[in-house]
Amino acid sequence: MDTKRIMICDDDEGILDMLEIVLEGSGYTIIPVQNSLHIYDVIEREHPDLLLLDLWMPVLSGDQVLRSLRKNPQTNQLPVIVISASRDGQQIAADAGATDFMAKPFDLDFLLKKIEQYVN
Amino acid sequence: MDSLHNGKFNISHETAKEDFSLLLQALDASISGIIITDNRLPDNPIIYCNKAFENISGYSRDEIIGHNCRFLQKEDRDQKERETLRTAIRDGKSCIVDIRNYRKDGTLFYNELYMSPIKGANGQVDYFIGVQNDVTLRKKAELDLRYQQELMERRVDERTKSLKESEDYLASIVQTLRESLIVLDQEFKVLSVNEHFLKTFKVTAEETEGKLLYDLGNGQWNIVALKELLENILPTNNPVEEFEVEHDFPYIGKKLMVLNAHRIELDGQYRDRILIAIEDITDRREIERRKDDFLSIASHELKTPLTTIKGLVQLMQRMVPNEASEKFRAVLNKTAVYVDRLNNLIAELLDVSRIQTGNIELHKEVFDFDKAVQEAVDTIQAATKYHEIRITGSTGEMVSADESHILQVINNLLSNAIKYAPDHKDIDVYLSRVSNFVKLSVKDQGMGIRVEDHKKIFDRFYRVGDIQQRFPGMGIGLYICDQIIKNHGGTIWVESEPGHGSTFNFTLPLSKQPA
Repeated sequence: MDTKRIMICDDDEGILDMLEIVLEGSGYTIIPVQNSLHIYDVIEREHPDLLLLDLWMPVLSGDQVLRSLRKNPQTNQLPVIVISASRDGQQIAADAGATDFMAKPFDLDFLLKKIEQYVN
Repeated sequence: MDSLHNGKFNISHETAKEDFSLLLQALDASISGIIITDNRLPDNPIIYCNKAFENISGYSRDEIIGHNCRFLQKEDRDQKERETLRTAIRDGKSCIVDIRNYRKDGTLFYNELYMSPIKGANGQVDYFIGVQNDVTLRKKAELDLRYQQELMERRVDERTKSLKESEDYLASIVQTLRESLIVLDQEFKVLSVNEHFLKTFKVTAEETEGKLLYDLGNGQWNIVALKELLENILPTNNPVEEFEVEHDFPYIGKKLMVLNAHRIELDGQYRDRILIAIEDITDRREIERRKDDFLSIASHELKTPLTTIKGLVQLMQRMVPNEASEKFRAVLNKTAVYVDRLNNLIAELLDVSRIQTGNIELHKEVFDFDKAVQEAVDTIQAATKYHEIRITGSTGEMVSADESHILQVINNLLSNAIKYAPDHKDIDVYLSRVSNFVKLSVKDQGMGIRVEDHKKIFDRFYRVGDIQQRFPGMGIGLYICDQIIKNHGGTIWVESEPGHGSTFNFTLPLSKQPA
């Protein structure tokens, strides 16, 4: 298994579907997570190479998730690209320790370039 | 003549003729008109008049002798002085009156008449002597004076009344204002407050007036920063403007108030008073915040499905089979364009809301202005097939500004140039440094803008009349540009004539002053 594993955590099903199609088309293995509460279990089980993380999610927000990941020695090196439609998203992401940020809606080529940059 | 010397008219037989002639001459030399009437004859006729009386009345002696004095009054008989004269004649007393008489030519003169009876041996009145002086000038002056006095009094009354009215009027305005007002003396003691102040802070006039501002309530206005500002008003005449006070006030709870204070610019008794206007903006702030929150959520929620749509459209563009028609590709490309437009509209709506509530946050950083412009032009150039954007000149300056906002302005101006000049491919960008400003101009060869619209196009939701059908839009792009440039201390304007293209310019101040 040489394919890179990309985990997508977003409460919006449309985005999960779309990214799955796009990223699988580009040869990645996708691990979709719709409920952010499950994310720690899934990370432990699936060992993703990169996480695409939404910010505004019910119950557990993206920045909360990110802060926990950064505190955990097993995940503090995990590349996390925050993707958000929130205007202040970039600042929130940076403060929480994101590797990179992309505003929704994004350009696919741009996204793929970024992913490639962090998984290789 | 000896008798004259001792003041008696004791005319002696020898000198009578001589003395009489002398007396007549004396009477004629008098400047007072003198007449004698004979009370014993019917209707008390005039039997003698001197020269001066002829002069004063304008009648000749022949026209005077034998008439009663009343002929001088002509038709003007309704004078109360006549009653005085009648009584004096009846009682055989002397009197003095000012009476209106008329000369032969009909002109009025005021006659100061001194009338005195001459009694016979039995005490009966035989003659009356009237001594008359034309006092028209004096009388006129008196009348004028009285008229002026009356006029003055009337004016003073009117002015007093209108002052009272305008005072009441102003007071009613002050009392109706939905803003709290306090007037302080130079010691910061409260002289008066309006109705709204009492209502807002739930206090009485007694608890407030005459007290030191800083002692009011539980010392709620005893704020160091406010104190400093207020204490500066009198000596420096620097008004306090938009000073926000958040405080837990007694009776009314936690409120956000905004204060404006000015020195009263009047000489005299109101000099050096301080007027403070207080507005409760607690609710307004809360509403603004909620609106902002709502728009943030709405735009977030709208952008989420848009992200999926945009991704899927891009995916379709990649998956177009080789044999697909040009038309199919064009439809797909157009879909992508409109998805982007929708995204821009959502972003603009959020911007407008923030600008309106004054919530534009500037994240200033120092950046290379020329390089930023070059990058913006490259990005737009890459997205346009037909137009050619050319940069001329340079500023050579680093500017301190919010780069993303400035890029937004440049992008907006370039997009407009492309949008409104679809058939003219040349777009010129000029860069220069002017004094302590950098200046950017975007010149297109498009349809141009009428002079009367030059200012209005920067207004919110303004769309030039017939533009709407051909070029859809919300009319907020330039409004946002204007607000952003203003926030940076620069100006934005257009120079244009219909049919001759438009040049949009903006300036940004350099932080350092020119050497």
